[in-house]
Amino acid sequence: MTAARAQFDEAQGALVASGVWRADSVGALPNLAGKQVRIIDGAGVTELDTNGAWLLLAAARPRASDPMPELRSFQPRHLAMLDLVAPHCAVTADKPKPPRGGALELAGRGTLVVWGHFFGLVNFIGHLFLELMALMAYPGRWRWRELGAQINAVFVGAIPIVAGMLFLLGVVFAYLLGSQAQQYGASIFVVDGLLLAILREVSPVIVAVLVAGRTGAAITAQIGTMKVTEEIDAITTLGLSPLAVLVIPRVMALLLAMPLLVFIGDIAGILGGMVVTKEQLDISFHMFTDRVVDVMDLKTLLVGVCKAPVFAIFIALIACRMGLSVTRDSRSVGANTTSTVVQSLVAIIILNAIFAVMFVRLGI
Amino acid sequence: MSETVIDVSNVSISLGGRPVHRGLSLSVARGEVIALIGGSGSGKSVLLREIIGLMKPQSGSIKIFGQSVWNSSAEQMSLLRRRFGVLFQDGALFSSLSVEDNVATPLFEHTELPRVTCRQLARLKLAMVGLPPDAARKRPSELSGGMRKRVALARALALDPELLFLDEPTSGLDPISGRAFDDLIRLLADSLGLTVFLVTHDLDTLFSIIDRVIVLSDGRVLGSGTVAELKQIDDPWLREYFAARPTEGETVHGN
Repeated sequence: MTAARAQFDEAQGALVASGVWRADSVGALPNLAGKQVRIIDGAGVTELDTNGAWLLLAAARPRASDPMPELRSFQPRHLAMLDLVAPHCAVTADKPKPPRGGALELAGRGTLVVWGHFFGLVNFIGHLFLELMALMAYPGRWRWRELGAQINAVFVGAIPIVAGMLFLLGVVFAYLLGSQAQQYGASIFVVDGLLLAILREVSPVIVAVLVAGRTGAAITAQIGTMKVTEEIDAITTLGLSPLAVLVIPRVMALLLAMPLLVFIGDIAGILGGMVVTKEQLDISFHMFTDRVVDVMDLKTLLVGVCKAPVFAIFIALIACRMGLSVTRDSRSVGANTTSTVVQSLVAIIILNAIFAVMFVRLGI
Repeated sequence: MSETVIDVSNVSISLGGRPVHRGLSLSVARGEVIALIGGSGSGKSVLLREIIGLMKPQSGSIKIFGQSVWNSSAEQMSLLRRRFGVLFQDGALFSSLSVEDNVATPLFEHTELPRVTCRQLARLKLAMVGLPPDAARKRPSELSGGMRKRVALARALALDPELLFLDEPTSGLDPISGRAFDDLIRLLADSLGLTVFLVTHDLDTLFSIIDRVIVLSDGRVLGSGTVAELKQIDDPWLREYFAARPTEGETVHGN
């Protein structure tokens, strides 16, 4: 096999090509800028495919307005290939891409997207509420089996990561608090600080973040893929409501699972702190638990746990809505899953701030 | 023109404990347009996946252009892959890319061409499969099923392969689009000198564009030949299969 070669014959205005012409042969083309090719001579061409034929034609005739060069001494099958390609040369000319918008346009589009999410969520809540009312009227339509499966996925599966994460955070908190409190001889107050931090803020927020990343993303990806494969349409045509079949069991499962997960997180966090205070501050397990019984009131625990269902509802609603708003391509599954996690995290942080202000105003 | 392009010999595979191929052998010569038929679950798609290197047979050898598919180094396999194109059943277009980028992807990956040239070659391929120029910038999800098949065909042809594998090219198309697609395949096969290996259920495809039909049954090749030759074979499935369509020349009564 001989490599592709081509040279320009000034005298005849001929592009003389030889060798194997394929897609890779582009480097063999001479610089033809400003020259008019009247003839393509293919006597030496041994192989030619459509890519090679296009390269020769496009080089000889850069604009569609240029005259078609004469094709000389090609083998008949190569000539057939050139004839196949030649009529399509006009459409391959590079068209300019649509201009991209500036910062202002981006900001405008972004605002519309955020507004669309907010509006969509409110609309979705309305639909879901109606569906819930309908389910109340016909309790037989509750999907108990689906609810059980969801609780298993959302709650049981999340216990190890929640417990592990909060245990380690308990370790870190106790260690930091301990290193400060020790200097003032106030070691025992580490327990007070740890309880307050873990029960009130750390456990609910971290559990919500974990659930948003783990379960929220999974819900969107699953419902989104069902949308792509037309399973949602199938559910609708069977006379069932996708909201009742898919969304409500997931919302209920998260609603039940989140407070339990927060409680598990509370215990794991306190255990983590217990281990550190024993090592670092010489507070025995017995002393630690005595102190916990003394300073912990039910209010602190409840303040943390009561945030959980609110976070849960928002995560589940966002995840289900984004899943159902997937369009029919795989890219949108990825984009919506990302959006679910981002929206959920933003919602968690905003809700947590609202809770903080509310509790202070109420004096809790 | 009797060079063997695909050579499958004595291939066996079991999936989930069920034997799918039991010592299956077949060969395809250069320039042939071959159809593979067989009942549901007869292992047509499995065979196709074995030949194109996606599923490893448990025994036997498969060669394309005389080179073993399952005993080659990664580099040899990469060179071999440039020489054949595959059209998957549902098109398998990359939904995150525009139509022209879908077709240009093999060129981006396998050649040193500048990206602009790759896109221009992609538009050439799109024009050759009969798509309008304005389709190039669209996303696959904006196209109809028939157009998506054509885009997938353009992508399979991007590197000008000598061999084309088509998995049920006309499934999911209406009869008119299906016939147009058949004609396009035959036209391209003739004008580009392609060898075509297609898996199909479509009797119209068999009767219109196929040189030779290979029938799979019970994990082996039951028969191979033209449609007329296959009709001589006494096999219950084959008889029923051809009975599903009136033979040429007979008229159909009904509403």
